[in-house]
Amino acid sequence: MDKILQQTLSLAGAIVLLTGCVTTTVDEIVFNEPTEGIGDATVVILGRRHASDYDTEPDFIKCVGRHISSRDKSIEILGELEFINALYPWFEPRTAPLRPENIHKLMQQAPVARKMAELKTQYMIWIDGNVERTNSSGSMACAIGPGGGGCFGFSTWGTEANYEAVIWDFTNRAEVGRVHTTTSGQSYMPAIIIPIPIIAPVKGTACNGIGNQILKFLSSKY
Amino acid sequence: MSASMIFDHNSRRLLRFTSWLTALVLLSACGAKQVVVQGQFPSPLMDRLPLTLGVWYMEDFANHEFFDESKSKKESDWIVKTGEAQVKMWDTLLSGMFENLVHLQAKPDPDTMNQMVDAVLIPHVEELQYAIPTHTHVKVYEIWLRYRFELVTTRGDPIAEWTMTAYGKTPTAFMQSDEAAVNLAAVMALRDAGANFVVNFTRVPDVQQWLQLKRGGQEEADHG
Repeated sequence: MDKILQQTLSLAGAIVLLTGCVTTTVDEIVFNEPTEGIGDATVVILGRRHASDYDTEPDFIKCVGRHISSRDKSIEILGELEFINALYPWFEPRTAPLRPENIHKLMQQAPVARKMAELKTQYMIWIDGNVERTNSSGSMACAIGPGGGGCFGFSTWGTEANYEAVIWDFTNRAEVGRVHTTTSGQSYMPAIIIPIPIIAPVKGTACNGIGNQILKFLSSKY
Repeated sequence: MSASMIFDHNSRRLLRFTSWLTALVLLSACGAKQVVVQGQFPSPLMDRLPLTLGVWYMEDFANHEFFDESKSKKESDWIVKTGEAQVKMWDTLLSGMFENLVHLQAKPDPDTMNQMVDAVLIPHVEELQYAIPTHTHVKVYEIWLRYRFELVTTRGDPIAEWTMTAYGKTPTAFMQSDEAAVNLAAVMALRDAGANFVVNFTRVPDVQQWLQLKRGGQEEADHG
């Protein structure tokens, strides 16, 4: 038993040591929070994909959705692809509404209004942002020969995640909340024969930060 | 069988395996990167236009492919085959957009017998451009398409002709190959083409005029 505990503690210690440092800042503006949760309505989280030099990553959108639904099982999150396929072509980058006022025009189309009623979507959350590498330094050399190979050196790089979530109340066609998160971290990779990456979990921390704030907004339990 | 014979046999196999592996690595570095675009395309959510539309896919459209020769030794040649996906997307889109969709048996022409339809759409891909992060140093893969559409009668008389662009991009992702990312960008570009067509088809001036004439004719027939 002691051996298992010792091994678990060593593994946990190794994970902690192999994780780079991360700092995160979350700003939240709430205009109109639901007082008793969202009931049986559904929520959809969508990524903004209008910028020319980046795209909000689909895996980040999935991560935020998973974070929310795993903490409050009563909140039904619609999958991003499932939603945009069901409403094709009205939520493509070219046609997606940019302001809540545009929903009115969209709902004038009977098939769209019917589908929205069928999906029971009350909140639509738009997430915009990405992860960028900010700096990198150090050097590493690797070599391979008949007797084997290995690397030697040290490199480090910084990563910054900037995401903004805008919450729209679909029924009232208004923006009801806004959450902004900035997360930065430094990753390291020392190499003495074997490179050991110590990665800062910037994206994961940003996902948890933004997910917690949205959860506070949507859930009656938090 | 002696020990030296076993060693010889094993070492020969190892040598052969290493040679194959080296050859494979070397060949993969020289070969062209090929993408046969594959994806799922949803039907549009809209009220169908009360028309029977014929569609004619020219051979160069149905088998459309794009070839880009590398400019340096560090880069690879690229072949992007979009034909199959184009047909799949346009079939799904047009079936959801018009009351009836008919695939014509022959190119619209005064001397050819064809099915009765209100008009025939002939799509063409005029241009395709792509960009990958190694070209642009931006963390997105991009595909840009320029289409030309001909809307003609079954006899081949022109009703309208217009061009339309489509754009798709996808971010870089961990463990994602260039080919998979270009495929995804192409699927996004095709979806965008569909969205652009749905939104703008009835806004093309010549199409608008033709639709008005059709509606007028229909009303006259209803009252007469």
